[in-house]
Amino acid sequence: MQTQNRRLLALSLVAFALAVGACTKAQEPAAAPADAAAAGPTEPVGPCALNIFIWSEYLDPEIPKAFEKKYNCKVTIDLYEDNESMVAKLQAGATSQYDIVVPGNYIIPSMIQLGLLAELRPANIPNLANLDDKFVNPAYDPGNKYTAAYQWGTAGIYLRKSAAKHQERTWKLLFDPALQPGPFLLMDSPREMLGMVLKWKGYSANTTDTAQLKEAAEVLTAAKKRSQGFEGGVGGKNKVLGKAVTASIVYNGDAVRGMTDDPDTVYFVPDEGGILWVDNMAIPAKAPHRDWAEKWIDFILDAQVGAQLSNFNQYATPNKAARAFITPADLANPAIYPPADFMSKLEFVNDVGNASKLYDEIWTQVKSK
Amino acid sequence: MATPGRSKQGVEVRFGERLTPARQIVRSALTSGPGILWVNVFLLVPLLAVIAMSFLTRGSYGQIGLPLTFENYTRLAGFGAFGFDPLYPLVILRSLVLAAGTTLVCLIAGFPLAYFIVQLKPRAKQIALTLVVIPFWTNLLIRTYAWQILLGPESLAARLGTALGLVEAGQPLYPSLGAVYLGMLAAYLPFLVLPLYSSFEKLDWSIAEAAMDLGADAPRVLRHAILPQVLPGMVAGMILVFIPAVGQFVIPDLLGGARTVLLGNAIQQQFGSSRDWPFGAAIAFVGMAVVMIGLWYYARTAGSDSEEALL
Amino acid sequence: MRKPSLPLWLWAGVIFVFLYAPIAVVIVYSFNSARHGGPWQGFTLDWYAKLFDSREKIEAAKNTLVLGLASTGIATVLGTLLGYGLSRYRFPGKKLFSRLMYIPVVIPDIVMAIAMLMFFSLLRDRLGLFELGMTTMILAHVTFQIPFVAIVIRSRMIGIDPAIEEAARDLGASAAQTFRHVTLPMILPAVVAGAMLAFTLSLDDFVVSFFTTGPGAGTLPILIYASVKRGITPDINALSTLIVLVSVIGTLAGLLLERPRRSSGES
Repeated sequence: MQTQNRRLLALSLVAFALAVGACTKAQEPAAAPADAAAAGPTEPVGPCALNIFIWSEYLDPEIPKAFEKKYNCKVTIDLYEDNESMVAKLQAGATSQYDIVVPGNYIIPSMIQLGLLAELRPANIPNLANLDDKFVNPAYDPGNKYTAAYQWGTAGIYLRKSAAKHQERTWKLLFDPALQPGPFLLMDSPREMLGMVLKWKGYSANTTDTAQLKEAAEVLTAAKKRSQGFEGGVGGKNKVLGKAVTASIVYNGDAVRGMTDDPDTVYFVPDEGGILWVDNMAIPAKAPHRDWAEKWIDFILDAQVGAQLSNFNQYATPNKAARAFITPADLANPAIYPPADFMSKLEFVNDVGNASKLYDEIWTQVKSK
Repeated sequence: MATPGRSKQGVEVRFGERLTPARQIVRSALTSGPGILWVNVFLLVPLLAVIAMSFLTRGSYGQIGLPLTFENYTRLAGFGAFGFDPLYPLVILRSLVLAAGTTLVCLIAGFPLAYFIVQLKPRAKQIALTLVVIPFWTNLLIRTYAWQILLGPESLAARLGTALGLVEAGQPLYPSLGAVYLGMLAAYLPFLVLPLYSSFEKLDWSIAEAAMDLGADAPRVLRHAILPQVLPGMVAGMILVFIPAVGQFVIPDLLGGARTVLLGNAIQQQFGSSRDWPFGAAIAFVGMAVVMIGLWYYARTAGSDSEEALL
Repeated sequence: MRKPSLPLWLWAGVIFVFLYAPIAVVIVYSFNSARHGGPWQGFTLDWYAKLFDSREKIEAAKNTLVLGLASTGIATVLGTLLGYGLSRYRFPGKKLFSRLMYIPVVIPDIVMAIAMLMFFSLLRDRLGLFELGMTTMILAHVTFQIPFVAIVIRSRMIGIDPAIEEAARDLGASAAQTFRHVTLPMILPAVVAGAMLAFTLSLDDFVVSFFTTGPGAGTLPILIYASVKRGITPDINALSTLIVLVSVIGTLAGLLLERPRRSSGES
């Protein structure tokens, strides 16, 4: 047995060394295809197929059907519930399997650094011109090299009026035990959830101050213990609708649709302020159908399709040409298009570079306590 | 005629042929070879990769690379970016406690059940065993989310809970540690009952009867006559419950919300939203170490008896 | 053998209710007309109808079946050979490998899942092979199925009287012929039982599939998990009921096949 064990040990060490060697080379960022430049429009070759990876309940089913009809295409749709899991999947290799992903703005700089995205070729996407000025050349993606805005919005509290013991428009409903409305859920999205706590405390949603972050972690951990747990935005909305909880944190579009479904529910961003997000369409670095993906982006940016999208999911459109076709009631709805004076209380969650590790650590702590 | 036995040169004669060591190796390579190769390549080597990964560093964007570091293990021991915090040791401890608790609960529930089944007539025995096995083969995910319905806000169980003062009116009984235990019990009970039952089947009742004739009361009969005989099956069952229970993440995920973070959830999080593979690998390695120690101890103390019981 | 006492009957009764309550509630609620998984509102077959309308679910069902059949096929062949080989032949290191073979049986499935995820990622980076998808899931499933099949076969082999094989050898059959024409028919029920076991394991698996899947290769358990996370919709109850039915039928079939050979009451 002695020689047996020694042989085994030797084999294991060799395998270990090989594994280390292999692992370390594993994550060299792939050089993103850099042929954007001034080339003219390219036509897609081969039959149309498109693999979309997108948030759940975010796309009117009629839109992919229309696209399929227009280009004789086969569109498959896979769903995710938060940005980080989507990026995790891309990092694990899905960059060569999906053609379209829809990341939030704050995670885009990381994705670019990791080489996960392919550059857009504007010649193939003439409808880029329809983007509202606010979303052209954004800070998180200068020059729109990799992304085009999809929808934007807020996140806030969604509750059932008849069951809620307190309904004041404050974050204290969740963070102050005295004002708890009933069983509630928190949002399972690290930057956004932490951002909301930070805004309540009066700090920036993008702070890198460890003391502030620690405070936010303590608040959140205490709230977690009184809550029914963490849930994605869509799950939270459904649980309020299903009466499993009284309140949850939800993205505004889902909430607005919930309110139409059940007028006993209401959505608001508390007075202390909150966070803003912008979701963008992007093409993974090794997408199998890059040309068709660009056609898709162009399709969504069309004025009518853009309006159809927003009228379905009831989020705010970044498409100035589409505004003409948006339901007037939606345009006037403060839950979808926050009034100008309130916008100052809302802050975009942005990439914080190296400090991301701090947020990761805090989030793991909150979740694990 | 060839008879079984060893000839002088150490060549065995078995099953009607001369099996030289060389021949045995060739035969083994042809039969056992592919299976063993497969398991080695697709599981054992990857497990080594996990260990290797745990010593790597995660960059600020989530990329993995050198330098080799012990940072993941120190973090696991509690020394994170915000000072000392025995977060992970507690997570691991909680997982071990949950697994042990689950094993205990399964034992309490399953021992009488096994004893019950062995006393039935053969026909009834078959039916009872089939009834035990069927949920075992039904999808665990489905059975677990069903507990969400069973413990939901206006369910029978929740109303009972309100009556008992456990929860406020209208509140569900999950997520909670109790719900997790219920889910774990439902999931792992058959794992314990089946091996335990198989030991009960082989029980020599005459020993128990002799003990009773000699005047021993029921607890003594149980402890001295029955227990020693069913021990192999019982231990096998306990191992089959404890080890997988340590790494369970679906049940704490669905029934524990985020208030019960265990080893399985912690690992899953690193491969999902936290995007920290090296750290996840470190957690997994520690989990594996527990499994390995358990198995090694089991192999040591139980020997071949238990292997049969496992079957 | 005395009969079980009343307290034991009650205890057993409680346990069985406990074990079957989840299954029962899923089946009952699949007919519940409440839209967001709330309390009972009325009887309906709508959710079953909706199932057949959903391309996503039909795709997932197809994937689950393909995965199950493919992996079971491979695992049964390799596992049977393995079980046979381990019970008949010796080789250096056999004890060690026998022990190692138990690892997939007892290892927490999340550890196995991430190990395979890492392994496939490495291979993909270096060799461009093993894109996450159906192939990787099949490979992963076979890996945990083989030991189970081998265990079943091996336990059956212990009960086989070597005299029959000896007789065949004495009559001039080669080892391979003996295996094919004599041994195999004798252990066939065990092979089938092993195959059913492997199939059910594959059908049931969630964790390993979750980590090794790719786009378009989602299986039913993965679909159910995603739906449950988003808030249980009643059509998932309908889907689950169907899956439960398949499992129950499969289990009963497997047990029935095993039974004629068994003299003791073991399953």
